Amino acid sequence: MFELFLKSQKLLGMNARNLDYVRPLNRKKAMRIADDKLLCKRILRKQNLSVPKLLGKIKNYEELDAFDWSTLPGGFALKPNRGFGGGGILVVYARKRGRDDAWVKADGSLITIEDLKIHIKNILDGSFSLSNLPDTAFFEERLTLLKLFKPYSYKGIPDIRVIVFNSVPVMAMLRLPTRASDGKANLQQGAIGVGIDLATGTTTSAIMGKGNIIEYVPDTNLVLSGIKLPYWKETLRIAVEAQKISGLGFLGADIALDRERGPVIIELNARPGLSIQLANLSGLRERLDRVKGIKIKTTDRGIRVGMNLFGGEIEDEIEEISGKKMIGVIEKVTFFGKDNKEITLEAKIDTGADSSSIDFEVAEALGFGETVRAYRALQADWEKLKNLTKEERWELFENIPDAVSTVPIHSSHGTTYRVKIQLEMLLDGTRTPIRPTLIDRSRLDYKSIIGRKNLLKFLVDVSK
Amino acid sequence: MNYHPLVMYIVEQGVPLQTLALLLMIPVVATLVAFFRQVVGIKAFGIYTPSIITFALLAFDPNGLKYGIAIFISIILVGMASRYMLRRFRLLYLPRVAITISIVALAILLILVIGAHFKRTGLASVSIFPLLIMITLAEKFVATQIEKGSRAATFLAGETLLISLIGYSLIRWDGFMILILNHPWLILLTFIINFTLGKWSGLRITEYIRFRKVIAHL
Repeated sequence: MFELFLKSQKLLGMNARNLDYVRPLNRKKAMRIADDKLLCKRILRKQNLSVPKLLGKIKNYEELDAFDWSTLPGGFALKPNRGFGGGGILVVYARKRGRDDAWVKADGSLITIEDLKIHIKNILDGSFSLSNLPDTAFFEERLTLLKLFKPYSYKGIPDIRVIVFNSVPVMAMLRLPTRASDGKANLQQGAIGVGIDLATGTTTSAIMGKGNIIEYVPDTNLVLSGIKLPYWKETLRIAVEAQKISGLGFLGADIALDRERGPVIIELNARPGLSIQLANLSGLRERLDRVKGIKIKTTDRGIRVGMNLFGGEIEDEIEEISGKKMIGVIEKVTFFGKDNKEITLEAKIDTGADSSSIDFEVAEALGFGETVRAYRALQADWEKLKNLTKEERWELFENIPDAVSTVPIHSSHGTTYRVKIQLEMLLDGTRTPIRPTLIDRSRLDYKSIIGRKNLLKFLVDVSK
Repeated sequence: MNYHPLVMYIVEQGVPLQTLALLLMIPVVATLVAFFRQVVGIKAFGIYTPSIITFALLAFDPNGLKYGIAIFISIILVGMASRYMLRRFRLLYLPRVAITISIVALAILLILVIGAHFKRTGLASVSIFPLLIMITLAEKFVATQIEKGSRAATFLAGETLLISLIGYSLIRWDGFMILILNHPWLILLTFIINFTLGKWSGLRITEYIRFRKVIAHL
């Protein structure tokens, strides 16, 4: 019972969302931006964030009568300005061939100007707005579906909900429209919500509608986990930027990925729903608590904090299955040399190199100054070495203090013989012996390369 | 009967005891609705509708509870049916609600006539005010239908009926009523309860159920 209570503390409930987050953090003025789509669009566009293009708006019956229908393109979305929960949105895909007063909807049915007029009148009368206040209707460009999403999505366009708090993206979910949701990316109406690993933008677990955990897209054999979302960092970036611009302290940004334009902000939400916790099988309150009070100065830093804190679960899984650790292309490495000397630096993980190497200076710092000097002296006339046999060479190198072996290195500059020393290295928490060669890397960005011989226990993720 | 002196004083001034008792019950019922929302997680149609339905059910008495429930359910059924019928005409919002309310009113009239025909005098003699109150439910129902769909609206109507029935039983419970009339200052406790509820940030009981899979996973 007590354990249940402790676990429940990690979850964000409706009471805590309203009392601790929405009320104190989302001021009235900022809420206006979230509730007024046209205002939101204008403000975000002014700050160079991409939003769907506005094609026209109708504020009242007179404007409706005067509206020039020929200005509309083949595909567009008609929306109520203060709509909520995806209500009242109408999307058409193309003009009906041979008619200039009718369009085709996603399900192939026809919609005429008369139909549009009735729909717009309903919008103007406030049928879709909060508390039925009179509303404005507007047309915006129809976003195009990313090829990647085609098999997963029924009719409509999927979107990505990102919860942003204190300039840090804390949780995200991909929402896929289904037959049940009638092409709307709204969970309440039966869409699919897929949790996203923030570090990699890869999908994890999924729910459908109010909370049934699913693994496949219904009626198909398409697995919902492991989808790698494109433009991931950019998606997080515009979500964080949108928070800064809107002034909403606790924000749910809805972002669609357009085939041509990439991430586009569809709308901002000042009272984001809580189902995102089900899709991610993770508690939002715990995440918000971890981010609270951190000083975030730049968008980049906010994204990095979010990625580091709330990602990596997939990695853990892979590590568990393969028994190997996942590392990136650049990793922090600590070398342990003589007399307890140690040095920590960023090394390049190079699966193209057979063995590892370190810079002369690093070797000196690790207590191998003598070795470096003796080796450099020999290396000066290495043209001579070329013609010697292996044994003869070793005889020469043998006198270098602390040299453990030599190795011929073939590169585009020709062949060289390098000397190896014995060290220990700490990489991603694992301490292993290593025999790097010594080389002059003083003009290179990374003072050490870790090659294949020392990477047997690791998997390299190039996106990291 | 000897109630609290304050109660006795007010009654002596000419305020009917029933009016006084019901007014004292309003904070109790409102607090009950707030409690169900914040702690249990039962939403219903806001706070006004379940409170007023509670008193409407009370007004069907004596022995009128079954008629109250019957009329409540009839209104919901008629509301659903009229939405279904009116859907294809694509009417504007207010005229559509007006038609729905009219249909509901006529349906209730029909029920009364049928009741009278079968000598159900209890039904026919129901006072008009609880009926009027019940009819306002129709607007709430239709509005919710449009916003959240028929299923959600029906669900919320069920929750409203549930809370109203609990409120009804509480008020009808003589022991409780006598307690309040003997110690009217107990009503002040509802302020303390509501302040606590207003600062309550824990999970609602329904949320424990909703998030059970997440909790199992944490």
